[in-house]
Amino acid sequence: MGRAGTPRGRAVSKVVERGGRIAMSASEMPLEVQGLAGHAQDRELVTSCRTGDPGAFARLVRLHEGMVFNLAARLLGDTEEARDVAQEVFLQVYRMLGRFEGRSRLKTWIYRIAVNQCHNRRRFWHRRRRDREQALDEGLDARAVLSSADGAGRGPYEEALRQERARRVQAALLQLSFEHRSVLVLREVEGLTCEEVGVALGVPEGTVKSRLSRAREAMRLRLRGLVEEGGRS
Amino acid sequence: MTCAHVRSRLSDWLDGGLEPAAARALQAHLAKCSACSRQADELRAMSGLLAELPRLLAPEPMAARVLDRLELEAENRRHALALLFRGFAAARPLMLPSLVPAGLLLVSVLAGVLALDSGPLPEVHFAPGAWSAVPASGTEGNPLFPSADVDLPRETAGLDLSPEVLAGRGEGSVFVETVVARDGTVAGVTVLEGSAEGEEALLAALRQQRYEPVRYRGRRVAVSVYRLISRMECRPEPAHTSYSPTS
Repeated sequence: MGRAGTPRGRAVSKVVERGGRIAMSASEMPLEVQGLAGHAQDRELVTSCRTGDPGAFARLVRLHEGMVFNLAARLLGDTEEARDVAQEVFLQVYRMLGRFEGRSRLKTWIYRIAVNQCHNRRRFWHRRRRDREQALDEGLDARAVLSSADGAGRGPYEEALRQERARRVQAALLQLSFEHRSVLVLREVEGLTCEEVGVALGVPEGTVKSRLSRAREAMRLRLRGLVEEGGRS
Repeated sequence: MTCAHVRSRLSDWLDGGLEPAAARALQAHLAKCSACSRQADELRAMSGLLAELPRLLAPEPMAARVLDRLELEAENRRHALALLFRGFAAARPLMLPSLVPAGLLLVSVLAGVLALDSGPLPEVHFAPGAWSAVPASGTEGNPLFPSADVDLPRETAGLDLSPEVLAGRGEGSVFVETVVARDGTVAGVTVLEGSAEGEEALLAALRQQRYEPVRYRGRRVAVSVYRLISRMECRPEPAHTSYSPTS
């Protein structure tokens, strides 16, 4: 991998710089698991937010920031943009909390806002003819190293392989249309059910399934080489 | 089940979304068809690659920053409202002092106008039928014709037709228009018929004539007077109105 040389070097230095943060991020994981609990908890949280309790909104942000950031970063291929978009998402969540009806999970509702924000951001790029995605997937790699630190115990060679695979998968994702990319990321990366994906994208479940089928086929063709390598190793 | 049919349903099958009977038929096809089976494996592997993508973490927790921005927005809104409802005088401290001289100036101009005004302007009444639709002009540029309402002007200094004046005249007769100005002098002489050549002395004599000013509805007006002057007579014909120049 000729192009892997310099980015890797940078990535390592960033791991060192941000060492402290990793531990904290990992410690937040249980909160996210808590966030998967039922509708009642959602409603309670939203009600406290509506009464203007800043602590409640901070809790809402902490519960969902991980998933929003990961979704934005995967959809946009740029961590800086993803951080920006994630902040916008939560500002919009705050403004629109009054409209949350509790028919879907809070998490799905936030996903929907996040997908829309990412879509808007991409259109903004297109208008300015900045196709930055290809150039910036290196920036994504560097951060990917950070979160893989919690999967400790792997050897350095396996770790490097895993990162290279992740980089190529992300590059293939960015080659897809936004429509295909969003349905794949929500279903395969975020692990939403088809019904939840439908809510997040604002389309019927049947549309999700047909779109998913086309997106998987497009992704399969792009990752064929990687899959075969994996089969051989 | 054809291969195309199977491939279109692989995605649903991987999601567990097929009816049991359809799923069995599909699996039976996969057992026989290596191409479809390979495609299914690749799809499964692709899903695995996506699922094992590492979670990307935000460089720092977001809550504090988001709350800061919300706080900032609320503050900006408060400022905007405060600006809207702030007292008028407080927002524009120079407004009231500057209104005083402006008001004084306006009052003095109005007072001056009222003092100079001599009362209401006289109203103008047009009695029906008294005036024609096109008012008579009676100016030197647009003189009136003698008519029942407009008298022929009376000469106060007659036309000098001495032999010197008539000496240079040609054979034919000339028909001339004399415009008598509002003060009775001759404003202009125009030869309407005949040649003006050699008639300079005659035209000069015509210009020397003086008339009594003509009045029409109480004001002096200019009038056109027409004359036919012929060689055959020593004396020119008397002036005619435009309606019967030769009578």
